[in-house]
Amino acid sequence: MRSHKQSAARAAPLLPLLAKEVREILSGRSLWILLLLLCPLIGYSLFQAVLLYGESSSAALQSPALASSLSPFDGILVPTLGSFYVAVTLLFPFVAIRVLGQEKESGALRLLVQLPYHIPTLVIMKFAAVILAWLLASLPALSALVLWRVLGGHLSFVETSNLLLGHLLYGTLIGALALFAASIAESAATAAIIALAFTIGSWVLDFTIAGQPGLLAWLAKLSLTQTLRPFEQGLFSGGLVLGIVGVIGGFVALASVWLPPGVPPRQKMRRSLPCVMAIAAILGGATQVAWSVDVAEDRRNSFAAADQELLATLRLPLAINVRLAVEDPRYADLQRNVLSKLERAMPNVSVLLAGSRHYPATGSSGESYGEIEYSYGNRSDVSRSTSPREILPLIYNLAGVSQPPPKPGAEYPGYPLVTGANATLLWFFGALPLLIALCWWWIRRPRRFNRFLVHEGGPS
Amino acid sequence: MPPVSPYPLLRVDGLTKRYGGERAIDSATFSAFPGEILGIIGPNGAGKTTLLETIVGLVAADTGEILWRDKPLPASRRRNALFYLPDGVRPYQDQLTADVISFFAGVYQRSLAEIDATLSSFGLTPVLHKRVGALSKGYNRRLLLSLALLTPHELVLMDEPFDGFDLRQTREIIGVLRHHAGRGRTFVLAIHQLVDAERICDRFVLLAGGEVRGLGTLDELRAKASLPSGSLEEIFLALT
Repeated sequence: MRSHKQSAARAAPLLPLLAKEVREILSGRSLWILLLLLCPLIGYSLFQAVLLYGESSSAALQSPALASSLSPFDGILVPTLGSFYVAVTLLFPFVAIRVLGQEKESGALRLLVQLPYHIPTLVIMKFAAVILAWLLASLPALSALVLWRVLGGHLSFVETSNLLLGHLLYGTLIGALALFAASIAESAATAAIIALAFTIGSWVLDFTIAGQPGLLAWLAKLSLTQTLRPFEQGLFSGGLVLGIVGVIGGFVALASVWLPPGVPPRQKMRRSLPCVMAIAAILGGATQVAWSVDVAEDRRNSFAAADQELLATLRLPLAINVRLAVEDPRYADLQRNVLSKLERAMPNVSVLLAGSRHYPATGSSGESYGEIEYSYGNRSDVSRSTSPREILPLIYNLAGVSQPPPKPGAEYPGYPLVTGANATLLWFFGALPLLIALCWWWIRRPRRFNRFLVHEGGPS
Repeated sequence: MPPVSPYPLLRVDGLTKRYGGERAIDSATFSAFPGEILGIIGPNGAGKTTLLETIVGLVAADTGEILWRDKPLPASRRRNALFYLPDGVRPYQDQLTADVISFFAGVYQRSLAEIDATLSSFGLTPVLHKRVGALSKGYNRRLLLSLALLTPHELVLMDEPFDGFDLRQTREIIGVLRHHAGRGRTFVLAIHQLVDAERICDRFVLLAGGEVRGLGTLDELRAKASLPSGSLEEIFLALT
């Protein structure tokens, strides 16, 4: 027998550990049940989306003006993947919790923590298995995109990839959260309650306090549901990606702190503090990262190309003083149509929300309520409009430049398509579930072994 | 059998574990010598499992120290020196027996000959294709014992290693453990069946109410209990 000193001198290989985690995920029922449930969910969403898109397209085929408003990204991709988002929120935690919860319940964790791996290594391998599970779970959603292409639909590679990246980040965030929940809970059932409290609590946060002023607005921003929205708007936001990756890393680190048995809870809490502070610092840093890219094919997050080019040359600071309450719908319009686009187009924009504590009904802010003051260089002007058609000329006037002529050929053409969707039903309600069931059977099929077929660990 | 070496491999020194106001382990002190089989003997609730889990660091001790070859062994490094096989675990239920063996063999980089020897000694070959969840209690126990013996650790602690075995199987497993002890491995076994303990252990730690009430070979304990021909059962009743 080798001594423990000799065995410690050689690092334990990671492959057997990763293989074991993957086997644990694949041999369990939860992933396969999730896959089977995803088939009708995604299938029906795609079927409905193709029908509705077809109805809108039949009118648009007669009119090019209507056609330009038909985007497969909004009409097909977002609603189809929306059902995947619901399933990931409500069902994927059960799959992710299994990688740790099962071992806690069966007592295998007490064997696992004695293996020659650092605790973070154990957690990272489990997290890798969770990511693999998400990738497998995304196959029905990916097959929906393939079906759409087969039906003759259009997909923009960049905006589709960005949306899939958003779903990957959201799925891994849910997976990391579930892993953390499993590390602090004694049983898988308790872990599921903790994870669902986060995810469903996020929905509640989103529905009840979004659009409210002050602390409530800040709390609403912490909702998990906010993570997908920019991706569904065709926006790649550097700050958001940094924030999500930071939180994922934080949950994995916290799971490493809470996993080992034999450490008193007080000590675990002490060790958690730096992780929580690191997450807070990363989130704080992420809010300061304004860099983002409009990857939408219809450039919905940007002004017209000529305006974008001209605005990028305006180097002086543009100060915008908004006298509107944050819950005022006009502010939402202004934010969506003008402010967010200006912040990306111009190098130096600052927005001051001056009316956040005043509501027009009270009359407390007087006649100036609703005014938006734009100051560029030493000139300023006031407008009440929320439309870029009025505000851009105003800014050009302040900067002393003339409005650029529109660039020809830059308009989004739109992609109307009238097609039948019955093939999608055949795939999602017949072929795909059958394929999944076959794979499940194949993984769990009885196999014959003799002692020589057990894999050798390596040279002794 | 007397200890092979006069110097202890493992020393447990004043180990105490409290749950609330109750002392589950109260200043336990004893040593394990290289190549011996040391039995932790006690009835259910005596604190055997808590003692083993505190030794390996799965449960945090309140006071006391663990020494490895006379040097302190902090909890974070114990898994390099000790391997503990808990009682009542049924891990990896959905995995094939062969895959579980492969996993441990892969982690500890065991050779084919070592795997083969382990499978043979525990008679696991007929159930390699079965899922762990489908194994009988006896085969599940054999699998766990084989995992423990696939590790390279010099000292292995086992909680109720004979639980689930009939007389014949228990004698078989005793033979396997004896074989490994003969090759220099040390075992610390928590056993509540005194007959089994008497058959396999070289020395005994008698535990009752979390306290060590007796320590030594059967002859030493007989002398202490003034029962020159007493069985372990009689000695245990006399000393606890």
